[in-house]
Amino acid sequence: MTDKFEDHESRHSSTSLKSVDNADNQNSAQRVPPPETPEAIQTRFRVIAAFWAVIIFLGFPIWWKTTSIYRAHLPIQEMTEWSEGKICRPVFPLEIQIAAPALQMTESQHLVRTTQHALDDLNEFAAHHLRLKLANATDLSDNGASMLSGQNTGDGADTALTVRVLSEDGLSTPRSELHAETTQLDIFYPPSQVPVPSSSNPALSVFIAEELQRLYSEEKATIAYILSGGTSGPDAESISRRLRRSMKYADTYHLSFSLFTPGAAPTSWDIEAAIQEYLAPLLFAFTPISNFTIDTQVQMYATFSPMAPPPLFDEVESAWTLKKEDLSAFINAAEWPLNPSIGNGPTLNFVLYVPDPSQSPMVVKENRASSWIIPQWGGVFLLNPPLETTDSSGSRTNPAHLSQDSLRPAFMTFSHQLLTLLGTPATPSSLPLRLQSMIRVRAAALLLSASSTMGSLARLTESLPSIPIPATVAASVAKTLSQLSATCSHLREGRFGAALASARIAESEAERSFFEKSMVGQVYFPDEHKVAVYLPLLGPVGVPLIVGLMKEVKRLVAAWKARRLSKA
Amino acid sequence: MVVGRRKAAVFGTAFALRLILVYFFPSLPDLLTGRVEVSTPVNSFKRLQEGLHLYMRNVSPYDGGVFHQAPLLLPLFSLLPNVRYHPISTAIFFAIVDLVNAHALAKISESGQSVQSRLHSAMRKNIRWDGTTVAAWFLFNPFTIATCLARSTSVFTTSGILFAVSNAVGGNSLNAMLALGLASYLALYPALLFVPLVLLSYDQRAEKTPQPPSISHFVAQHVGIFVGSIAGLLGLSVLVTGNFWEFISATYGFHLLVPDLTPNVGLWWYFFIEMFDSFREFFLGVFWLHLASYVGGLTTRLRRQPLFVITSLLGVFAIFKPYPSISDASLFFATLPLYRHLFPFMRYTFFAVSALLYSSLLGPAFYHLWIYAGSGNANFFYAITLVWSLGLSVLLADSIFAAIRDEWEQDHPERRGEEVKQV
Repeated sequence: MTDKFEDHESRHSSTSLKSVDNADNQNSAQRVPPPETPEAIQTRFRVIAAFWAVIIFLGFPIWWKTTSIYRAHLPIQEMTEWSEGKICRPVFPLEIQIAAPALQMTESQHLVRTTQHALDDLNEFAAHHLRLKLANATDLSDNGASMLSGQNTGDGADTALTVRVLSEDGLSTPRSELHAETTQLDIFYPPSQVPVPSSSNPALSVFIAEELQRLYSEEKATIAYILSGGTSGPDAESISRRLRRSMKYADTYHLSFSLFTPGAAPTSWDIEAAIQEYLAPLLFAFTPISNFTIDTQVQMYATFSPMAPPPLFDEVESAWTLKKEDLSAFINAAEWPLNPSIGNGPTLNFVLYVPDPSQSPMVVKENRASSWIIPQWGGVFLLNPPLETTDSSGSRTNPAHLSQDSLRPAFMTFSHQLLTLLGTPATPSSLPLRLQSMIRVRAAALLLSASSTMGSLARLTESLPSIPIPATVAASVAKTLSQLSATCSHLREGRFGAALASARIAESEAERSFFEKSMVGQVYFPDEHKVAVYLPLLGPVGVPLIVGLMKEVKRLVAAWKARRLSKA
Repeated sequence: MVVGRRKAAVFGTAFALRLILVYFFPSLPDLLTGRVEVSTPVNSFKRLQEGLHLYMRNVSPYDGGVFHQAPLLLPLFSLLPNVRYHPISTAIFFAIVDLVNAHALAKISESGQSVQSRLHSAMRKNIRWDGTTVAAWFLFNPFTIATCLARSTSVFTTSGILFAVSNAVGGNSLNAMLALGLASYLALYPALLFVPLVLLSYDQRAEKTPQPPSISHFVAQHVGIFVGSIAGLLGLSVLVTGNFWEFISATYGFHLLVPDLTPNVGLWWYFFIEMFDSFREFFLGVFWLHLASYVGGLTTRLRRQPLFVITSLLGVFAIFKPYPSISDASLFFATLPLYRHLFPFMRYTFFAVSALLYSSLLGPAFYHLWIYAGSGNANFFYAITLVWSLGLSVLLADSIFAAIRDEWEQDHPERRGEEVKQV
């Protein structure tokens, strides 16, 4: 396609003539082409100038505009410091209110003081510490309810726990009682052990301190584990096992509930009511941490994989049993339509399996359990509904419809599995406390993850000077950094709900800036490849143009020299 | 004007041939409309119908991203009866447009500008065809017939260009500028013909009036007319569509940024499919500049024959346009017979014609293999489009060579008849 350049540019300028006039033999000797007229030289100059004018005045600006790489300024220094943990040392000061309605003011103040002493003596992890505070008797009653969501709208710190110190007759030693549905811990003590202001280390204070320490030991260990980068900590082994089982944190999880049965029944289940009744409150409680989307499906005639060992009938148990080691093959991943991921979040699958009437009831052999968890994937529940005798032949079938009540055990199990899969700590027994603890753990993890993403981005842009940095990335980085420092200050002041909210924004912005499409595309495009891009087309076009230009310049220089010579 | 019997016979036969083809092969127009060689995203009749359908229902015709043609075609086609029920009326309309184009071509030929102009006089003036023969070459060219039957809207661009040239050689530079404005409005690229066309008009003016106006003044005046005509058409378009930027980006933006890489006979689609995304804009610039850069060079070199510059630029467009079709090639082939006197100088006609025939026969076959049979791939069709472009390039380069040779002989009359050898 470029031959035309050569054709009309070089041909006319470099045609020479050779006579083939056979009639005139003596004249067929070499004839020189007539000298070029000044006019022709002028025309050739103009033609070359016309092409070069286009190249210089249009071509170069377009080249400059379309291939220049825009690199927005990034605060590299600050990003690196975040990733190295130089800017923020996360601390977790938990505020605990102590209410002792039966005690005198001075007695309670003394109790708080001595308990705090005892706590400080027990604590060996400085970043996570408990701060005791004497509660006003009035605001005690409404505290418990509002603490469920773990968020405090005011400027002050969240109240992590309320301890009520009550006297009870007939006790020899103090005992504690944790409310399962609120953040309240009741301490009962024998009236004889009322701390006297003079005693420096009363038994009641020590007891309370030990109780609190026990309550938060798992959270403390987890945070220590996360902050240390997963290498140290008191019991790193068990924590890392728990974290391995749970999903990686995501802003949104997708929950998929599937009913599988090998036969024709059941064909329907009261899934909507069941989710509303058994699961929705839990999901609502999780809103500060993650969002959820849900979908459900019913699959009939879902057979086991041919590879999977079939269940065996156990005479003793009078049940069909699955061996524990065979459970991993239970899910027929090839044929059951379980989507690995729908939408943007990771998917958690919950499978409700109703065995065929001929294999019912079905349990796990070793412990007669009917459910198990599949790490980082979901949970399975074997539901053995009471069989119905329908027709005269006496064959027994599964019920065609599973009512909300019959789904209750399954969904109780699914709720527990969901908590485990989301990485909720196993202790203490109070769910609000576990959720609060999870908020702190997640905030710490996201803070570190977003910081290290910033560090990676800084290193990436430093090491690849040829990749573009769009303005959106710079904006995302700025937002991440500001949210990170907000997280840090929220943590310092004990507002963990707000800290997690900031950390979530920081994490999503950090991910967005790191995985920016237009940047990643250039990562594998070294400078040498540009030769391969430019040369095949521009080379053939450029050579005649450059040669033409050089000839023309040579001619002009020669003419200029000749003129100077003639002047001299 | 008295129409000679011969001319009437040629025009009548061409008209009848088109109608007979439509009448006896009723599926032929739709078949041709679907061919990528004939219909590109910017001239497809199918897309025009889509835009028309939207327009008739008071929806913006550019909604849906299918229609990319100038909005003024819509009111025009809304006057015609629905093509679904009355295909023959549309066929007659397009056949008449073809005849009108042929008439303009005949007028260009009869003016004798191709052999004798103000600054140039060809050596072999006697070897030439008259206007009717040139029109016949156009009307009976299978590419022209296919374009006409496929109802490609390129024919209106062709009309604009041919009328601009015929008015320019007739000395009516105002009408020439208006016609070129119409062509540029329809397809954008004819605007590049402005420079040679204005020189052609200037030569005509200078020949006729004893005191020619200064060239800069003349050019400035005609730039004004040209820009004014385009502005007027754009203003009318705004009245039709209501949204200026929407139609600008859907039509001219589409021409300039080449977002639709449907295969066609050109060279762009394959290149931009393969191009790295980050270099796309740069090479869009390179390709457009490449197309535009010929204007300056050719006009300077062939200043004495502005009409020939237009002819060769039409050839360049047929090869290097973003969405070329065989209608562009047919326009180039229509203007070549004006230069019958150059044919003796051309050296590679056999090769060029063979390449063109080869590719026009094998192109549809390879396209079928790739798209329908699935036994070929994109490279099959691309190879054929390369051969097609090569054939056109050889023809173009050869004709330019012949024109230069002709000029050279005029400068050196004593060397006439000698053979030239390139070293």
